[in-house]
Amino acid sequence: MPAVFKNRGIAFRLVFLILISDAAIFVCIFGYNYRVSRQIIEKDIRANARNLVMATVNRIDTALLPVEKIPENLAYFLENSPPLAEEELKGLLRAIVENNPDIYGAAIAFEPRAFGRDTRCQAPYYCKSGDSLRFTCLGSDSYRYFLWDWYRIPQETRHPVWSEPYYDRGGGDIVMATYSVPFYQTVSGERRFMGVVTADISLSWLTDIISSIKTAESGYAFLVSKKGHFLAHPQTDLVLKKTIFDEAMTRNDPDLYSIGMAMTEGKTGFSPLTSMVTGKACWIAYAPLASSNWSLGVLFPQDELTADITRLNHVVWTLGLFGFLLLAGVMITIASSITRPLRDLATATEGIAAGNLDVPLPPIKFPRDEVGMLTDAFARMVDSLKRYIRDLTETTAQKERIESELRVARDIQMGMLPKALPPVTGILEFDIYATLEPARQVGGDLYDFFLVDDDHLCFTIGDVAGKGVSAALFMTVTQTLNKTKAIQGRGPGEILSSVNKDLSVENPSFMFVTVFMGILNIRTGDLEFSNGGHNPPYLIRTNGTIEALELTDGLALGIEGDFSYLAKKTSLRTGDTVFLYTDGVTEAMNQKKELFTQKRLEQELSIRKNQPLDRMATGIMGRVKAFSEGEPQADDITMLIVRFHGQGDQGNINAQ
Amino acid sequence: MEIENTGKEKDRFIITVTGRIDAVTAPEFETRLLDWINAGETRLIVDLGGLEYISSAGLRSILTIAKNLKTKQGKLALCSLRDTVKEVFEISGFSTIIPVCESVAAAVKEK
Repeated sequence: MPAVFKNRGIAFRLVFLILISDAAIFVCIFGYNYRVSRQIIEKDIRANARNLVMATVNRIDTALLPVEKIPENLAYFLENSPPLAEEELKGLLRAIVENNPDIYGAAIAFEPRAFGRDTRCQAPYYCKSGDSLRFTCLGSDSYRYFLWDWYRIPQETRHPVWSEPYYDRGGGDIVMATYSVPFYQTVSGERRFMGVVTADISLSWLTDIISSIKTAESGYAFLVSKKGHFLAHPQTDLVLKKTIFDEAMTRNDPDLYSIGMAMTEGKTGFSPLTSMVTGKACWIAYAPLASSNWSLGVLFPQDELTADITRLNHVVWTLGLFGFLLLAGVMITIASSITRPLRDLATATEGIAAGNLDVPLPPIKFPRDEVGMLTDAFARMVDSLKRYIRDLTETTAQKERIESELRVARDIQMGMLPKALPPVTGILEFDIYATLEPARQVGGDLYDFFLVDDDHLCFTIGDVAGKGVSAALFMTVTQTLNKTKAIQGRGPGEILSSVNKDLSVENPSFMFVTVFMGILNIRTGDLEFSNGGHNPPYLIRTNGTIEALELTDGLALGIEGDFSYLAKKTSLRTGDTVFLYTDGVTEAMNQKKELFTQKRLEQELSIRKNQPLDRMATGIMGRVKAFSEGEPQADDITMLIVRFHGQGDQGNINAQ
Repeated sequence: MEIENTGKEKDRFIITVTGRIDAVTAPEFETRLLDWINAGETRLIVDLGGLEYISSAGLRSILTIAKNLKTKQGKLALCSLRDTVKEVFEISGFSTIIPVCESVAAAVKEK
C-alpha cells in the first residue's frame, strides 16, 4: 500500500484516486486539444502568409511591369526609326516622366562617341523634382555614366536589367533602382550597341509599399535584392548598407543565412525565424518578384498569431481547474457523506470492542445498503453477545454453586477417611500411614483402618469404578458398610460377603467397587485378608523380597449379591510392610499415554523399602507426579502402608 | 479406540476392539455394543486381541453389557486377551462372571 494511504480513511483514498485519475484525463485531453488546434492554426497561418506574400509580390509586380514597358518601347522605337533630334528626344523623356507617376526619372544614354565629337548632350535625363521636372545632361566629367552598373551590365549582357539600388549622385540624387534596356543600330548587317534607355524608380516608393504590409502587431515585410541587399526594411539603417548575409553573420543566425540563400536564389518558402526587429520567434514567408530578381519576405510573430489559441488555452485551463476544484468539492462531500455512517459505526464499535456493549449504534438510514446491513449485523451481534454473556454469567454462577457444593461433598467424603489412629496412639506393634490425592473430579477411592478389638487392626482400601457424584456416594456407602460390618470375630471374607450383599441390592447403574480388606493380629502378625477385585497389595519382607499378596478370587463388590468371598492368611514378621494402593498409582499417565505401571512401582518400593512410611508414601507420590509431567491427574491416587513392629511368628513361637 | 463388527459365525456376532477402553472411550464402546444388542444380536464375542488397556470405567461398561445381555438370555464372551488385560480381568474377578476364551474359534465352540 502506498505510504500516502497509511492512516487514511476510505473517503481520502476515494477522493484522492478519483481526482488523480480525473486530472490525468484532463491533462491528456487538454494536451491533445492544444496540439491539434495549434496545428490547425499553423496551417492557417501558413496559407495566409503565402497568400499575403503572393498578393504583395503581385502588387509590386503590377507596379513594376508598366515601368519596364516604357524603356522597352522607347528602345524599340529608337532602333526602328530614323535618328531624332536632341529636342525630340528630350520631349519624349519629359513626357514619359511627366505621365508616369511610378517613374521617378528616365534617360537615354548613348554610347559615348556614337555621334563622334558632337556637342550634343549624349545622355539626356529627366527626373521629378518636387511638383516639376528637372533636366540633367548626364555625361559630364563628374558623372561618367558609362562606368555605372545600370549602363555597363545591359551593355555587356545585351539584356534589359534592373540595377542594384544605388544613390544616384549627380543624377537623380536619391536612392533608386534603374531598369535599363539596351538598344542597337543595324549597320551593314551588324547590330551595333548604341546605348541604353532607362527608367528609375524611387526606392522610397517601394518602401512605402513594403511598409504598408502589416502582419499582426509586430510583423513586418522586407525586400532583398539579387545580391541580398536590403531594399526595404523597417530598420532603415540596414537599407542598401547591409546584405541579409551580413545581418545573419552579425546575429550569428544560420537560419537567416539559409533563408537569405533561398531568397536570393529566387525560391518560395515558409519557415521559422527569429525577428530581426523584436527578437521574438516568428515565421517567415518569402517569394521572388517576377519582374526583378528581388525577393519579398514577410515575418509573422508566432505569439501574436497564436494569441487566440493561447487565450483559448488559458480559458480551457482555468475552466479545467475550476471544474477540478468543483469536482473535488463534490467528491469530498459525497465520499464523506457515504463514509460518515461507516465512521459513526466504527466509533461505536470501538466502544463495543472495548467491552461496552451498551454503546448505541448509529441509526440506520438506508436499511438495504451495505452500511445498513453491517449496522444491523452489528446490532444483532451485540444482542447475541449480551444474551450469551448473560447466559454465561448465569451458567458460571450455577456451575460455581454446583462446584462449591461438590467441594463440600468432597470435604465430607475426605472427612470420612481417618488421618491417624487417635484412640490407639502409643501402640508400638505397627505403623500405619495413608494418603489419598484426589483427582480434580469427585472420585471414588477409599481407605480405612481401625481396631476391631485390642488385638486386631482392620484396614481396607477400595476403588469405585467411575467418577462423579454417583461414585462418591457409592464410596461413602461402601466406607460406612465396611466399618459397620467389621464387627468383632468376623473374618474379612465374611465381612466383604456381607457388604457385597448390601451393595448389590438395588444397583441399577451397575456400580461396583473393588475392595481389599485385611485384618492383622497385632500381637502375632497373623494377617487374614480377602480381595474383592482389587489390585493385590505388596508384601515387603525385611529380607528385601517384594511379592504381591495372593488373589482370593473375589469379584468386585456390587455385582453379584450372593457372591461368597474367601479369605487367605499370611504371617508378618517384625519389620514387614504391607503396601496397599489403587490403580491411580499404576495407571497414572504421561503425555505419551504411557502408564506408570506396576514395574515402576515395584522399583520404587525396592528403593524405599526401609524408609519411614510417610517418606515412602510422599516419595512414591513425587515419582508418580514427576512421571505424569503435569498431565492432569485422571484418577484418585491412594496409598495405605502398614508396617508390623510386633514380635510376629517369632514372638508367638517364643510365647508358646 | 477402534471398534467394528468383523463377522458372524452361526449366531455369534463377532466384534473386534483395538486401542484403549478408558473413561473417555468407554461410553462409545457401551453405546456401540448396546446398539448391536438392541438390533437383535444377543450372542456377542468380543475379540480384545488388539486391546492395550482397560480402565475400571471400561470394566463397568463390560459389566453393563453383560447385565443387559443377561436380561435378554444372551451371552457375552471375551477372547484373545493380552496378558495385561487378562490380569485386570482376573484381579477384578470379572473372569469369574464373564467367559474368557483363548481365541474367537474357541469362543464359537462354547455353548
